Amino acid sequence: MPRFFLHIDDGTQRIADEEGSELPDLAAARDEALGAARQLWSAAILDQRDIGMHSFHIANDQDEVIASIKMDDVLPVALWSDLKGS
Amino acid sequence: MAYTNRLLRALSPADQDVLRPHLRWSELGRGTVLFPPNALITQVWFLESGLTSIVAISGIDQGVEVGIAGRDGLVGMPLLLDADRTPHRIFMQVAGTAYTIDGDVLRQILDEQPSIRKLLLRYVQAYATQTTYTALSNVVHTVEERLARWLLMSHDRQDDDEIPLTHEFLALMLGVRRPSVTIALHSLEGLGLIKATRGLVTMRKRGNLEEFAGASYGVPEAEYDRLIGPLR
Repeated sequence: MPRFFLHIDDGTQRIADEEGSELPDLAAARDEALGAARQLWSAAILDQRDIGMHSFHIANDQDEVIASIKMDDVLPVALWSDLKGS
Repeated sequence: MAYTNRLLRALSPADQDVLRPHLRWSELGRGTVLFPPNALITQVWFLESGLTSIVAISGIDQGVEVGIAGRDGLVGMPLLLDADRTPHRIFMQVAGTAYTIDGDVLRQILDEQPSIRKLLLRYVQAYATQTTYTALSNVVHTVEERLARWLLMSHDRQDDDEIPLTHEFLALMLGVRRPSVTIALHSLEGLGLIKATRGLVTMRKRGNLEEFAGASYGVPEAEYDRLIGPLR
């Protein structure tokens, strides 16, 4: 199985994923990033931190970024418009 | 013979003499499964080094670490409690060494030597305290605090400042996804408390890490000291 790296960009710096994980394909890597984003939001909301500026950059084993996911992508639409709309 | 294992050390010389002829040296590589779920417990390990992870599993692909044991303890606790198996999965998370003893032999020794049985049962109590505080921590502490607690707990069980752990293992230990571990390690590193490189966490400022961990760390360790003796 190919190895995917989930680098995190917190808006000011890149936190490198040095280990990566073996996953069947890019779709699985995206699912992993989306699941992680939900978990990071749940902790951030409890701590009253905004991680809306953060994103995941999914890289392959050549360290080429092949997809990006914004933390906002996992917020429920209603919540997102409440947060950003007003 | 000088033991590293805190339980073997805490035994009187006479009790050590009772166990010694039955102990066999064993080397345990990283990932070695000591007990698959519900396997019959036919031997007990007194760890001299390394770290075992006790994992509670749910369904086919979910699990979380509920306890650790290293040179502070033994693996095969159900046998001390008149049980022959456990639904937990127990494996070596950091490679190590152990003295192992046949289960039936140990059962007989426990019947004949109350002083050995009492010490080992006090360890069961110390371990139970650890596992209940892990349950507490999983609910009330942040991932960063839990990571700090966990690193202190593993550092307690070795002399070296370098703890060989992958993020994947840490994710299982803390019951979180891997990126949460990446971020938590990054935070602790940013505070200068540890250094994290691929597959290795190095303790830099233990005192400050304890301060960071706050109330998440310390109660089970104090219980261990009271019941058995110095953990570190």
